[in-house]
Amino acid sequence: MRYRETGELHLDFHGATNTTINYIAKNFGEEALHEIFSAVGQKVYKSIHEKLKQGDASELIEHWQYFFSREKGVFQIKETPEAIILEVSECPAVRQLLKLGLTPSPLFCTQTILVNEALCADTPFESKTEITGCGKCRQTITKRGVK
Amino acid sequence: MIPSDHFVRFYNEVFKFLDKQGDGALEKYYLEISRHQELHCLELFKTKGLQGMYDYWEHIRIEENCDLTLDLQPDSLTLTMNKCPSLTKAMDNDAGLCLKYCDHCPGWIIPLLKKAGYDCQYDIIDRQLPRCQMKITRQP
Repeated sequence: MRYRETGELHLDFHGATNTTINYIAKNFGEEALHEIFSAVGQKVYKSIHEKLKQGDASELIEHWQYFFSREKGVFQIKETPEAIILEVSECPAVRQLLKLGLTPSPLFCTQTILVNEALCADTPFESKTEITGCGKCRQTITKRGVK
Repeated sequence: MIPSDHFVRFYNEVFKFLDKQGDGALEKYYLEISRHQELHCLELFKTKGLQGMYDYWEHIRIEENCDLTLDLQPDSLTLTMNKCPSLTKAMDNDAGLCLKYCDHCPGWIIPLLKKAGYDCQYDIIDRQLPRCQMKITRQP
């Protein structure tokens, strides 16, 4: 895995992400979020994206497992022959916003939706991110063409 | 979720986007971050002064895994960043570094300190070395 941080966590960064998403959307439109999160998905996470292009989702699964565990999220990863499903019951990012007394931006989860889309673009995979509640979502990665 | 560990790499992409927009877009964003940071710092800095600033950055030193030296004197606080974890991560990054990355720190810190009644001399030293220094003193 390309990035594997250890040591202390500064969870308040999720608050800065929330502020930034609101600021960018208000001043530059939601299309700007597409540009920024596409760069995150395909340039920052180049290693995951390149593996997905080769049909290999192992680094994405490892990334989810490592960072959701590190931030003490409540989640489960299911792998089936057709799909990889990340079921998040308690998102650590949303939990931290609420702890800080911040209102999650209506666009807060676009970070997940757009990064997943960017990771899967031009690969044999496609992503579907369903927001199932406050701090809850289901992220599904399937091989294109599989129903 | 972009993990909190990877926030700075996201931040780095935000800076690249804003820098491309021109018209002071980057500087205006620093002011937005400064307003956001008031939530964490302003009351503390106003009520506890240099000691409050010491407490805040000592907390940051631990949470952000900084190699940071804090020198609190009766009339000043000097922070010497020996190895900035934020710039280090932004550089250890397949997306490449925004060369204005370091500017965000004085960009949010100085306006916030001014609101609290303090001046700050900030020396970035070198935008591609994870070191910097700032000295905070009460406004005359």
